[in-house]
Amino acid sequence: MRGSSSQIATVVSMNLRSLPQRLWMSLAAVFAVSVVVAVLLAFLAMAQGFEKTLAGTGSDAVAIVTRTGSQSELNSVLSRDTVNSIATAPGIARDANGDPVYSAELYVIVDGIKRSSRTEANIPMRGISMAGLELREQVDIVEGRAFEPGRNEIVVGQGVQREFDGFRLGREIRFGKTTWEVVGVFSTGGSAFESELWADAATVQTQFQRGSSFQTMRLQLEAPGEVAPIQEFIDSDPRLNLDVQTEADFFAAQGRALSGIAIFGWAISIIMGLGALAGALNTMYTSVASRAREIATLRAIGFGNTSAFIGTLAESTVLSIVGGIVGAGAAFLFFDGLSTSTLGASFTQVVFTFELTPELFRNGILLALAIGLIGGLFPAWRAARVPVVMAFSGGE
Amino acid sequence: MKDLYLVFKNLTRKKMRLFLTLFATFIAFTIFGTLTAFQKAFDSGVDLAADDRLIVVNKINFTQVLPISYVNRIAAVDDVEALTHLNWFGGYYQDPRNQMGMFAVDAENFLDVYPELLVTDEERESWFGNRQGLIAGESIAKRFGWEKGDRIPVNSNIFSKRDGSTSWDFDVVAIYQGEEEQTDTSSVYFHYEYFNETQSFGGDFVGFIGLRTSDPSRNEAVITEIDDMFANSPAETETVPEKAFNKAFLEQIGNLSLILTSVVFAAFFVILVIVGNSMMLSIRERTAEIGVMKTLGFTSTRIFRMVLSESLLLALLGGVLGLLASRLLVVLVNEAPIQLPTLVVDGRVWTDALLFMIGLGFVTGIVPAVNALRLNIITALSRG
Repeated sequence: MRGSSSQIATVVSMNLRSLPQRLWMSLAAVFAVSVVVAVLLAFLAMAQGFEKTLAGTGSDAVAIVTRTGSQSELNSVLSRDTVNSIATAPGIARDANGDPVYSAELYVIVDGIKRSSRTEANIPMRGISMAGLELREQVDIVEGRAFEPGRNEIVVGQGVQREFDGFRLGREIRFGKTTWEVVGVFSTGGSAFESELWADAATVQTQFQRGSSFQTMRLQLEAPGEVAPIQEFIDSDPRLNLDVQTEADFFAAQGRALSGIAIFGWAISIIMGLGALAGALNTMYTSVASRAREIATLRAIGFGNTSAFIGTLAESTVLSIVGGIVGAGAAFLFFDGLSTSTLGASFTQVVFTFELTPELFRNGILLALAIGLIGGLFPAWRAARVPVVMAFSGGE
Repeated sequence: MKDLYLVFKNLTRKKMRLFLTLFATFIAFTIFGTLTAFQKAFDSGVDLAADDRLIVVNKINFTQVLPISYVNRIAAVDDVEALTHLNWFGGYYQDPRNQMGMFAVDAENFLDVYPELLVTDEERESWFGNRQGLIAGESIAKRFGWEKGDRIPVNSNIFSKRDGSTSWDFDVVAIYQGEEEQTDTSSVYFHYEYFNETQSFGGDFVGFIGLRTSDPSRNEAVITEIDDMFANSPAETETVPEKAFNKAFLEQIGNLSLILTSVVFAAFFVILVIVGNSMMLSIRERTAEIGVMKTLGFTSTRIFRMVLSESLLLALLGGVLGLLASRLLVVLVNEAPIQLPTLVVDGRVWTDALLFMIGLGFVTGIVPAVNALRLNIITALSRG
């Protein structure tokens, strides 16, 4: 046994050291695998980044109330009466004065010029109150100041600033007939709220002719995740046609919107992987053919065929793993942290960044490994069966 | 022609290598065919947009509404031939996830503005005569199994009825077809009157206005006149050609073309390297043979041609098979009950693909062919 494992070690190292002789063929295999892995990781990083942005948006300690079936904040409508009624529901946290902590909000869409395409795109503008700012953890005014109630002032999310033109601090912006001033820039730690513009709710109601209506309501929960008392309150009043769920659940559902991209990425890279597999097989068959005499000679001097088998398999695996690492590295270099935006559930732009997590990295390497193992298996089988007589024949 | 036989013999001498190289090419062109079909489908909204059609939306954003009084004022503008208004209804069938493009329209004028949606005269009349009638596109009807004459309930995720319910009843009076294969038939249209009288928000507002001008050359004048008319009013308008509107909408989703093109490009690059390498290898193995052929009197250019034909043949064979496979795949995707525009692998895709095949064959074959061309008989024979 000891003898055979040292044989294997010898053959593996011989194979690897002779790689430079088959340089171009080997590089082709490495290259093919690396492109496949890079393509896979680009798609996965996109889906991951989007999901993570939205998952990070919702808090478990906040509930969101929307009109039944509305699916998104944009489609929901709540009257002032409904808002007042919900504010009396049990299960809502209370402040020092004993008043319920909630924020009634508006969600309207305005146009902005997307930097990447120079075309108009939908940006959400949220009418919000100071309570709404306090309700959200992680809100941080990084430049300027917050808007003042009653004035046409907006604070701009960092994501909007990154992806859209014309939202610099101090700029005046026209929406229809109304003019607004950018008085601050806010960060929410990379969540989807950073894709929004925030202004005073009452001012948005007047300027966008929304009367006294709101669209959604956010409630600070007494106990995180506990929406049941509010749900019961809604169910007990037949006039209330509303959905309530934690903000975390609400956004997690929206984050899955790009999971199709991940599936598409897998499908494309597996198909491309089959092409790369053909390349790997080609490389390895050639390698076995060019080493046929060497393999036969080793057999003739007493090496077992297992060592020829493992040696070939190891060569192919090493090539593909190198390819995988190169591909993953390239994906990391080009895509990790790449900022982009797409149309989210509320028909507005969600700004997010590609994110390459260690788990995705592992997926890429696994795909490379699969190509290497399958691509090495059949040629290794052939290597194991090279007849000893080859050692004594001239030429190929 | 004898050369062709030799080319064929050379190509098939190592069956395994031939198979693998063909397979790699096959994969590349399957990806090319399928993704190009996707890309064309996404772009079809832009490509098929009528040049003489304009869209009038609220300047703040197209989701903001316009007063219905604008309709008559715009209709009176010179060179506006036909005009209709549309409201996004947010309709879904049975499950909120079954969201569809559903619009409340001014039916009588609608079909004049959008003549590419084909219904018979009889269906047209029955739609006009039925307040609860709706016309549904071929693809959406197929998705939900609707047939002409069905009575269906549709919910809205935006609007509720005055009686508090969110379910509207409709009669499917026609299944319209598209004029072109890629005309979008996934939308549903119904009467604005039915919508406006039953929805609870009150309103007399319209979502946006679609109109046809007498001639595309008049577009600029019409755009200026409309937008100037409403400047400084509470609801300013923005009038854009339909093509530009659709393009901007696609850009909102992201740069799909760039993503798809990069993937195709990456796939091609991989295959180029694999096939090129194996081509080079197979010629190098034949060095001695080429020496013999030259000795026998084969001219260098003739050998050059043979090597190049070999790589071209390889690329064409794998490519055509790949494209055929993508046609099959596209048929499967079109049959699947998912909401996607119709995919087509048409003549344009074929000609592009053929060009790529020739390019691929040429690039992978040129280096080995030049090597063979330059090969000196003496070195060739001594190397063997």
